[in-house]
Amino acid sequence: MTRWAMVIDLWSCIGCNACTMACKAEHATPPGVFWRKVLEQEVGRYPAARRVFLPVLCNHCAEPPCRDVCPTGATWKRDDGIVLVDYDQCIGCRSCIEACPYDARTFYADRATYFPGVTTPYEQAQQTFPDGVVMKCTFCVERVDVGLQPACVQSCPTECLYFGDFDDPESTVSRLVAEKKARGLLPEKGTGPSVFYFGG
Amino acid sequence: MASGVPAVVRVEEFRIDVVKRQRAWGWLVISYLFLGGAGAGAFLAALALGQLWGEVLGLVLLVVATGFLFLDLGRPERFWRAFLRPRTSWISRGAISITALVALGGLHVLVAGATGGGGVAEQGLAAAAAVAAFAVMVYTGFLLSPSPAIPFWNSTFFPAIFFAYSLLAGIDVLILASLVPPGQAVDLPLLEAVQLGLVVVCLLMVLSHLSVMSHAGLAARSSIALLVRGHYRWLFLGGVIGAGLLVPLAVAAPGVLLGAPTVLALSAVLAVLRLAGDYLFRFLVIRAGCYDPLR
Repeated sequence: MTRWAMVIDLWSCIGCNACTMACKAEHATPPGVFWRKVLEQEVGRYPAARRVFLPVLCNHCAEPPCRDVCPTGATWKRDDGIVLVDYDQCIGCRSCIEACPYDARTFYADRATYFPGVTTPYEQAQQTFPDGVVMKCTFCVERVDVGLQPACVQSCPTECLYFGDFDDPESTVSRLVAEKKARGLLPEKGTGPSVFYFGG
Repeated sequence: MASGVPAVVRVEEFRIDVVKRQRAWGWLVISYLFLGGAGAGAFLAALALGQLWGEVLGLVLLVVATGFLFLDLGRPERFWRAFLRPRTSWISRGAISITALVALGGLHVLVAGATGGGGVAEQGLAAAAAVAAFAVMVYTGFLLSPSPAIPFWNSTFFPAIFFAYSLLAGIDVLILASLVPPGQAVDLPLLEAVQLGLVVVCLLMVLSHLSVMSHAGLAARSSIALLVRGHYRWLFLGGVIGAGLLVPLAVAAPGVLLGAPTVLALSAVLAVLRLAGDYLFRFLVIRAGCYDPLR
């Protein structure tokens, strides 16, 4: 059985947001909507001050609280661990946003566009979501299903993002988690995230 | 937001170390929580007192409350899907409870009105409607308390607090409605005594919740800080605790304990204060919900 997972090397992340923009390009997400983003923080004091970065996205949890609270079954998990939203079933109650500890979901209601009053042909082709629903990272399921890497992984210039089968002990992600002692965010929440971090 | 205007993204959206406040639920959900609780509370209290007009009023409030929830949905035309997942979702359980209360409560009003009450069917409907009303009053607490994301809501007190506040608000609705011409007879001294007890219960549970949460993590402590020292301190300390609980307690206690005659106008003022405190409590619980920082 396959369980897709992502490992993020925080030592190598330079905060360039190439992943953020690749995600927006892949899914044509509206203004202000980020299925993934890079958080940052200044640590230390001058002259030893530095910036640290934390790329964040849906954690595709093993026990997703968003799925459990969904009253319609719109949020569901595939056998390979990818958590998705069925936009035809979502009623926009936003209980999943309240349940997600990772702030990874966005309610899309205002039909904002990048060009005043115009939805470009590219947006029309790429956007799979209607308004009035909750959206989030899909691990680029449309790419993964045809053997490609997610757009963010593909675009990272420092190769700090790794994607693969966590159930395969020989995969890069399994090896990194074991060797680097990579761990998920907020483990105390008991959600079993499929995005792991090391370094930083 | 007008179409074509790029969304403004807050700076804190991109900070690692900040505690973020929830913004997914706003005044429509808050108004639903208040009116739904008050409606179910009014129905239950009226059922116990045998006052059909109060039952009708409670059901009307509940239907209005459900309208707020309907308007809050991103895709309201699909509202029926909210009933599909009672096995895991408290929203589904709540939707089923509300529907059951409106159906069973409505039937009870019809049967009791037609027969004058006392029959097996009327008593069976009354028992079933009471269970549904209880479920509507407590489920909102369960809706919030299992959230792993917002520690301030992770409280075993919430179902009990929401039940007590709902009953308090429901009885206040009955008190105020009894004053509207042509007027309905209510046992005001009895209701004021019950309200005094409920005010004490609410006060103790709210303070206990704050006490427990003050020993929880950063997000829960940030929620408390918002309420007692921060942006919402006047609304919480002055509105929820002061005007909503302490003033009604101080004013009503001597009269109830010494058996003094109840002044109708004073009861009405206290009812308004308690209702305002209830709304503010629900408003602030929702608004002060904070997420833990990711690292």
